[in-house]
Amino acid sequence: MTAEEFLSYFSADRFIKSLRARSKDGVLTEMARVLAGDGDIRDPDLLLEMIRRRESLGSTGLGQGVAIPHGRSTAATQTKVVFARSPRGVDFEAMDGEPCHIFFLIVAPYDDRRQEYLPLLGKIVETVNAEPIRERIKDAESFESFQDAVREAFSE
Amino acid sequence: MSDRVKDLATLQDLELQIREAKDPATKEKEESLGFVIQGLEKLEAKRDQLLAKIPSADLRHYQRIRRRHERAVVLVIDKICHGCFQTLPTSRTRTVSDRGPLPTCESCGRILLWL
Repeated sequence: MTAEEFLSYFSADRFIKSLRARSKDGVLTEMARVLAGDGDIRDPDLLLEMIRRRESLGSTGLGQGVAIPHGRSTAATQTKVVFARSPRGVDFEAMDGEPCHIFFLIVAPYDDRRQEYLPLLGKIVETVNAEPIRERIKDAESFESFQDAVREAFSE
Repeated sequence: MSDRVKDLATLQDLELQIREAKDPATKEKEESLGFVIQGLEKLEAKRDQLLAKIPSADLRHYQRIRRRHERAVVLVIDKICHGCFQTLPTSRTRTVSDRGPLPTCESCGRILLWL
């Protein structure tokens, strides 16, 4: 996967510079609404229910300030990602008990003909596992800065 | 959106989510990335609660289609069934009553979900 292929799942419309939410469920709701506002998912209810159920199997807060809620939904037509930051941090029940500052919400259809969902999930984890890149992404105050950080990660 | 179709879509999501969580390859992949998948019984209990809520005729219809297709409930976007990708007749409307037949695609038989 190239940097541009990776970035094709993101968009400036699905970039949240600073989350208003201060709770885990608030973060999920705010991010799902952004995805629904994108047009492909006009009713976020099905999506939210699916994400909450996934969280009930174990928090997707991986630790080191990163959470990656994800899943497939009948309400999704394409694989898409919402990226959000929370400079103040949110308790996401992460594995290390620390607040999360960066969030990637990945939603994919069940009819994943290109089989892109799990590889994309893996690529996001790999990208944020590198500390310098994680910090640059955390500090990205614009979608362009986020794109630059991702391109740098892929060039290394 | 009809609550009847929405409930069936929720049931479908739940069933597919449970199946995926049980799939050894998916579970192994997620765990290798650092995610945890445990407590599936909570999802199974939610599925059972939902099953009890859905009218039996709707449930039979849904299960009959699921025996033939992985997804019984599919989206309609721009008048196209996203199960078989056939264009629906222009006479087809998104109105679904609380009773009567569920909206289905005349081509593939799947239940139609308008969002």
